[in-house]
Amino acid sequence: MAERGKGISGPAEGLERAPSTVDEDPIERIIRSLLDSFPSAIADFQKLRKGVLRARIERRDLFKACKYLRDGLGFEHISMISAIEYEDRFELVYHIASYQHRVFLELITTAPKDDPSVDSVSSIWGGANWQERESYDLMGIKFNNHPKLERILLPSDYLYHPLRKDFRG
Amino acid sequence: MAEMWINMGPQHPMTHGLWNLRIKVDGETITDAEPEVGYLHRGIEKLCEDRTYTQIIPITDRLCYGSSLTWSHLYCLTVEDLMGIEVPKRAEYIRVAAIEMQRIASHLMWLAAYGADLGLMAGFIYCMRDREVFIDILQALTGSRITYNFPRIGGVAHDVPSNFDRDALRACTYMERRLKEYEEMFDRSKVFMMRNEDVGVLRRTDAMNLGVTGPPLRGSGVRYDLRKDMPYSVYPEFEFEPATHPDCDCYARYRVRMDEMWQSCRIIRQAVQKMPKGKWRILAPRNAPEGTGVGRVEDPRGEGVMYVVGDGTDKPYRLKIRSPIFVTVSAAPKMLIGYKVADVVAIMGSLDMCIGETDR
Repeated sequence: MAERGKGISGPAEGLERAPSTVDEDPIERIIRSLLDSFPSAIADFQKLRKGVLRARIERRDLFKACKYLRDGLGFEHISMISAIEYEDRFELVYHIASYQHRVFLELITTAPKDDPSVDSVSSIWGGANWQERESYDLMGIKFNNHPKLERILLPSDYLYHPLRKDFRG
Repeated sequence: MAEMWINMGPQHPMTHGLWNLRIKVDGETITDAEPEVGYLHRGIEKLCEDRTYTQIIPITDRLCYGSSLTWSHLYCLTVEDLMGIEVPKRAEYIRVAAIEMQRIASHLMWLAAYGADLGLMAGFIYCMRDREVFIDILQALTGSRITYNFPRIGGVAHDVPSNFDRDALRACTYMERRLKEYEEMFDRSKVFMMRNEDVGVLRRTDAMNLGVTGPPLRGSGVRYDLRKDMPYSVYPEFEFEPATHPDCDCYARYRVRMDEMWQSCRIIRQAVQKMPKGKWRILAPRNAPEGTGVGRVEDPRGEGVMYVVGDGTDKPYRLKIRSPIFVTVSAAPKMLIGYKVADVVAIMGSLDMCIGETDR
């Protein structure tokens, strides 16, 4: 089992890789393939515990990376989308699971306070549709290209986004 | 024929809770559907930001009235991940035994409601009666019948009562005898089978893409059970088989839940027999460190996930809850379109709706 919070660096430059047993581990393969495809956008890989992986990604490449995760790496299931408000930014955490590789990926992206928007992934995973609506409803995150970005839990004429820290019931 | 929208709910016997299903019909055939939820939104995630970690345990019990123990367990699991606590072995065994009892109780409540939906009132009465057996054991264990407030961060509230193993094994033997009876009662009922077979088909690829989890996913032929495939707690130490069925229809989902009850009986037996001696609780720190924790369990209704952000104080900065039914119900149009209005009851019933966790 990997140590908690152990950082993993990128592939060695200019070296032709010999086949190794490392590739048997799906997590290593996923890290390598993500680093090869999105070298500038994805960073900060951490193995949390067995089968759980964390990474950070730039907001602009989120959609492309998610599409690649589903089509190229076999992540069939989006488990959860959480929006968190910090003092200086919004953080969106995508928990994505792969049924075939038994891997659980935590993909974190940030959005600035004055522009809380991010590309919708509901055209990639249908399961993201309602979760994005929930994040919009409760936290006020705008999801670009969402098919129906409306309130879901609260009434449609409600004025606030109650999970924001400045909201006091 | 002219199409029209019909509201099934918020007050409708089909809904099993407080939600609304709008369906567009062309004669008897459903051409579009739109579930509406939110009637029971209590703002639990916001509520949790203002409570200490211990105070949240009873709140998470209130997420689902059908299986409250799995939710408080999931919460404790998540916070233990955040705090980096190792739970004593005995506590894990007690938890697993209790969760599997809760799973049987939850599935029995579903089967009761499903039987009543499809016109088998005898099924309703039988299942509710046998659910009492497990509720009684859980009451002896925890002190309450529905909302238990039993798991603690770092273990469970107290040790098992005397004769717990005897009662649990007896209940399993009793339940296995009953399950045979149910299988004969439901599978041989012509009405039940006619309303179930080839109704509400959800293809394998759709089920995966739409985020459907739990029995509906396994009923669509995907063999994925978190207890087996990404094990938590002490599940790797037990022998059991995840239940799957390849048919993708309502009958498959019914079959998966029945098989899960058999497997739960197996797990309870092993948990009670192998339960080690020792401590059942360690003291957890009051404050959580800065960082995040994530927990992921196989709830009776699907995949429950919690994500907690700690900021160094005794209250969570943010707690996000993933409810399995919230996502599953968003896939309802896929199952409903093309079937008749009379099939709505069977299709939505086969999902095991629980509004408490859907709306949070």
